Amino acid sequence: MTGKTGDGEETRRLRFPFGPIHPALKEPVSLRVTVRKEEILDVEVALGHVHRGIEALAENRNLIQTLYLVERICGICSHSHTTCFIQGLEEIGGITPPDRALYLRTLIFELERIHSHLFLLGIMAYEIGFDTLFMYAWYARESILDLFEMITGNRVHHSMNTIGGVRWDLQPHMAEKIEGAMGRLRKSIQQIQQAFQDKTVEKRLSDVGVLVCKEARELGVVGPTARGSGVDMDVRRDHPYAAYNDLKNAFDVIKKREGDAYARTEVRILELYESINIIHQILEELPHGSIRSDENVLRLMRKIPEGEAVSLVEAPRGELLHYVRTNGREGLSRLKVRTPTIPNVQGLRPMLVGCEIADVPVVVASIDPCMACANRITIVNTESDEVRVVDISELRRS
Amino acid sequence: MSTLAALLISIPIVPVAALLFEGIDRKIHAKMQRRIGPPILQPIYDFIKLSLKETIIPETAASSRIFRVVPIISASTSMLAAAIILGSLIEEASIGGDLIVVFYLLALSSIMIMIGGSSSGNPYGAISFSRKMTMLIAYEVPILISVLSVAIRCRSLAYYDIISLQRSSGSFLPIFNSLGMFLAGATFLLCIPAAADAVPFDIPEAKTEIVHGALIEYGGPGLALLKLAKSTQNFTLTLLASTVFFYTPSILEENLILKLGTIVACLLPSLLIWLLTITLPRTIFARLKIGQALKFYWSFPLPLSVLSVLLSLIRI
Repeated sequence: MTGKTGDGEETRRLRFPFGPIHPALKEPVSLRVTVRKEEILDVEVALGHVHRGIEALAENRNLIQTLYLVERICGICSHSHTTCFIQGLEEIGGITPPDRALYLRTLIFELERIHSHLFLLGIMAYEIGFDTLFMYAWYARESILDLFEMITGNRVHHSMNTIGGVRWDLQPHMAEKIEGAMGRLRKSIQQIQQAFQDKTVEKRLSDVGVLVCKEARELGVVGPTARGSGVDMDVRRDHPYAAYNDLKNAFDVIKKREGDAYARTEVRILELYESINIIHQILEELPHGSIRSDENVLRLMRKIPEGEAVSLVEAPRGELLHYVRTNGREGLSRLKVRTPTIPNVQGLRPMLVGCEIADVPVVVASIDPCMACANRITIVNTESDEVRVVDISELRRS
Repeated sequence: MSTLAALLISIPIVPVAALLFEGIDRKIHAKMQRRIGPPILQPIYDFIKLSLKETIIPETAASSRIFRVVPIISASTSMLAAAIILGSLIEEASIGGDLIVVFYLLALSSIMIMIGGSSSGNPYGAISFSRKMTMLIAYEVPILISVLSVAIRCRSLAYYDIISLQRSSGSFLPIFNSLGMFLAGATFLLCIPAAADAVPFDIPEAKTEIVHGALIEYGGPGLALLKLAKSTQNFTLTLLASTVFFYTPSILEENLILKLGTIVACLLPSLLIWLLTITLPRTIFARLKIGQALKFYWSFPLPLSVLSVLLSLIRI
């Protein structure tokens, strides 16, 4: 507990483990935080506590099975993963889904963004001890889950995508219900926005975890984390996929320059309005026609030749990348997933150093980390014992 | 009735009333958050359930004896503090200087929780200790000065003497007697959320930051007693606030035939004060940081309390 600084001046440093299991963290990640009193001096981020070996599993299954496996990388952005993966497959197989399918994909995508952002706003409120706002945000999120259930039959893993289209069509009565829900949602988002503008909330969030624009670019952070630091990037606008090319005018890319936790939160709140606008336009312009190709999915799968593709989507947390290499025998020879949390986690150290202990949960939550998605690699160093598993002695004061 | 008998009667009432208040607080908190919430008796169920579980002493504990004894001292001191207040109300008399004893016992109870947390050897317990210490400095000073102001005004440090003096002065609610009294009352009420460790001042146990701080290594009977100690502290403070500043029995005087009526007439306003000073802030605010909390207490309640003492001295 007691350490010496270079000046020979004795200071009391406390190195305490923040995680892997901690009530502020929704998923296991280990942050080893060195503090002097309440000030943070250094942070080490260690991933690898929820490695599930999904990429290796994907190489042992056929493409349709992998589609459902890929959906389970994340419980929040499940549709982003399937869309990204399917786009790769369709590029290799030269399959073009009908327009209506692309619009429906986009619809689910934006609904998912709303539900993911509301989820994070709730978590942010919870981290700063504002349980009431947490309950209200999640109450609003519930209506989106109900819409998912109405459209696809599933609340979390929607299983909407299939090779060459989508599996469920949108009935006319559903469109009305979505419109109604969006109207109510806009009101609750306004309430949530007002609550976040409250002074006690602002005190906890502004000037906390600052990541300046230059550093954000260097570290390559993505999504709302980057946009909160003033980096102008959005896959939906820069590399349009699905129906986003037609919907270009329906949304703006929200940017904030401050780069603190408050800016990142604000970006997400404002993006909710943009998502609602996109959904309105989708419902207005939804093309008629079929929702998938007439050919059987299994037959389509067999037709996909050997090849490789890189596919990008803007998941709620940021840019999501899938590298897909098919083996031409219904399966994959390599799947590489880069989730937005992997670059975003790099931003944690510059954000946290200089903050107080009380800011750790706020800053960690503000990048909207999804650890289970990010844990792709485990590094096992058998020669030196530098990399070790957190054991009980480390959880105690040394 | 002797003082001892009054104390013995009030000791069993205190934990039940305190846990019941806690249950009502949780229910109303839940309702305000659009939740159903636990049954009102939940804290009592929890107390019984935890009491029946085994005690686990962490290997890192500095001394297992301290770790074991602290919850007992903490709970008994806070219960004694509450019983002194309640006993005085039942007996309608009190011993000189008992206000000081009550505040001493309350502080002892808080300090015991801190010691228990830091003796567990858990780093979160250590951080909780330093945070609670800062909070004690932040709110104990104004709260004591505000009580001092009332004592100066009534020229007595005996709890019931203060009440009876205020009653004889003829006004309905003592807090509106004078400006000095009003400021003292406002300070006292502002300090209750910090003393109760409720959001926005639950910094010493901040769940998402330091995992309940001092309570982290406790489980079973120890945790049950510490939770009881906390509820009882809140109960004592709200009862003090309601009787010293809003003595409702004086309004209802003619209708109160039984002594039980007086006690209920004291408990109900104290529940109301609990809801206004603990439940409401913890529903509508976010948690502050330790520096912000200290700054708040030293820039508002502290000057207010000093002002109230000055006004009491010149009797305004």
